[in-house]
Formats: sequence, structure tokens, C-alpha cells
Amino acid sequence: MFLLAAAALVPAVGEAIYFRDRVSWQSPISASELVTVDQARAWGGNAIWVDARPDADFTRDHVPGAVSLNEDRWNELLPQFQSIWSPEKKVVVYCSAESCNAAREVAERLRKSTQPPMQNVFVLEGGWEAWVKKK
Amino acid sequence: MKNRIFVFTLSILLPLVARAELKWEQTQVELHPGVADKEAVGHFKYQNTGETVVHFKSVHSSCGCTTAQTQKDQVMPADKGEITATFKIGDRTGTQVKTVTVETDELAHATTVLTLKAVLPELMQIQPTLVYWNTGETPQPKTIVVKPSKDFPVKELKVSSPSAEFSTKVARDIASGEFKVEVTPKETTHPSATALTIQPDGSAKIFYATARVMPAPATPATH
Repeated sequence: MFLLAAAALVPAVGEAIYFRDRVSWQSPISASELVTVDQARAWGGNAIWVDARPDADFTRDHVPGAVSLNEDRWNELLPQFQSIWSPEKKVVVYCSAESCNAAREVAERLRKSTQPPMQNVFVLEGGWEAWVKKK
Repeated sequence: MKNRIFVFTLSILLPLVARAELKWEQTQVELHPGVADKEAVGHFKYQNTGETVVHFKSVHSSCGCTTAQTQKDQVMPADKGEITATFKIGDRTGTQVKTVTVETDELAHATTVLTLKAVLPELMQIQPTLVYWNTGETPQPKTIVVKPSKDFPVKELKVSSPSAEFSTKVARDIASGEFKVEVTPKETTHPSATALTIQPDGSAKIFYATARVMPAPATPATH
């Protein structure tokens, strides 16, 4: 049994070393930070939708009522979001599959923007594409 | 039967003998752009060390903020080239890691992930960027701390509010180099808001913070 496990370990270690520069990974977003389209829609007017995609994508189309807040123009766009936010609101941040780390990064920066940290900031599961499917 | 075994063996061995192989000089690049830089460009150099042509099938980046370009669609044996990854810095700060996935028709390594790490300077840290009061709350001052980076010393900070409903006072702590911006609403009897502009001396860059008097949260009716 031990020999079998050791034999399986050799190619596994070899592969891990050989492919060390070729594997892309990132820590997953915790389930408590994610929200589905249906859940977010159920919040109705109590939710603020934040579009973290580049300006051009937002101009092309966006969730009705969403505010644009991306890291390309964070400083400039943040006051617009802050002018409509209030502590009891839930915040739903989305991006597209192409730039889907953006939602997570924007959500993180929003949490840190207030003292104490902003609560109820969520990342939309499946991003813009998931919303389009359920439109 | 012998012929079949021969053909089968040949089909396995031939691609290994006459294989195409893109050797990358490096698959990870770390960049340290300056304060005024608008983008960071990483160069990923390669050479085809195999004996057949390598074709690029696709090159795509992990983020809309990064574009990647190949110089050519195919790489002849012994040919060299590079993929350039251009990362748009925008208002991003801290360490940013973006990846570019390259797909080729190589049999052994069809997919290669190139990693671009950019360590971005942060001119100033502003904490928090939003201060707020509820209507009816005592209009006591609240403080925004502005901490310039060590590489970007700031002697003076200009803070202004377009709304007369809020006043600001800036104090500098010489020892730490930090600034404390005290924001006070004139009154909290009604909702109001202002976008404060924060501008360090010697820089055209403007930062923002928001001050608001918000409607008090609705309390559920009790019977």
C-alpha cells in the first residue's frame, strides 16, 4: 500500500515541479461574499448595483440603475457611489468574465473605504454574463 | 500485424522526435512602475527550440486592464520573438498580478500562463474616504487621515468643499508626515453631501473624499 502511494507521488511531484510556471490559480471568493442574480434581484431597491467593468463596457450596456465604479478611474468615480450609499443598503458588484477579478477588487476597496469597514458588499456570481442570461 | 505495430509505434514516436517547442526566457515578470506612469509593459521572450513550426492559437489576458500582443502568428524553428503584455495602471494601487494565457499547437505544452506582477506606488492613503452623520446626530467633527507615501513627500495639502454645508480643517503631523482633515457639517437637520477635493502640493492629481448627512435609518414601528 505504502509502495503504491509512493509510486503515485513521484509523477505528481514531478508534474508539479515541471508545470510550476504554467499553472494559473487564485484563491476562490468565499461563499459568504457571493450572491446570485436571483438573490440580488430579490433585494429590489435595497441594493446598489456597481459595475466594475471598464467604461466602454458600461456605456454599451449595464444593469439598470447600476453605477460605474472601476479601478481605471477609481478616484473620480467613487464620490458618485458614495453619494447614494447608506449603511442599510446591500452592494452588489459585478464584472464580466474577461475582467472578473475586478469585481472582487472593487468590493475589497469599497469595504475599506469606510470606518468601520463597509458591510454587505457582495460579488455577483457569474458576473455580467449571469445577469444577461436571466434578463 | 508487424506493420500495424510499426505504424502505431511510429505515430507515437514521430511527434516526439520532430516536436515543436517554445522555450520561454521567463514566464513571470515583475515591474515597478513610477508614480507618473500610466501603464506597465512586460516582455515575455521565447524561442522555438524544436524542429517544426509553432502556431499561436490564442492569447488572452485575465483582466480587461491588460492587453497582450504576439509579434507573429507562427514561429519558425530557431526563431525568436516576444509577447508584450500591457497593463493599464489607472487608479490601481498595491501589488497587482495579471496573467496572460497563451495557447499554441505544441503537443507537449499547448498552454502557457505568463504572469505579470506590477508593484504600484501609492501616492497617498486616504482613510476613510467617506465620513457621514445621520440627521439629528450631534454635528461633531470627523477625521480623515491622509498618509503620503515615503517616496512622495507632501508638505501641504489643499482640501476644499464645494458645499458651504461642510467646513474642513487640515493639520499636519510633522513627525509622521500624516495629515488630519477634520470635517464638520454646519448642521444635521437635513440630508446634505459634498465631494471634498484633496490635492497635494506639487501634483496635478486630485483625490476625493465624501462627507454626507444621511437620513436617519427607519426604525420599525412598535405596537
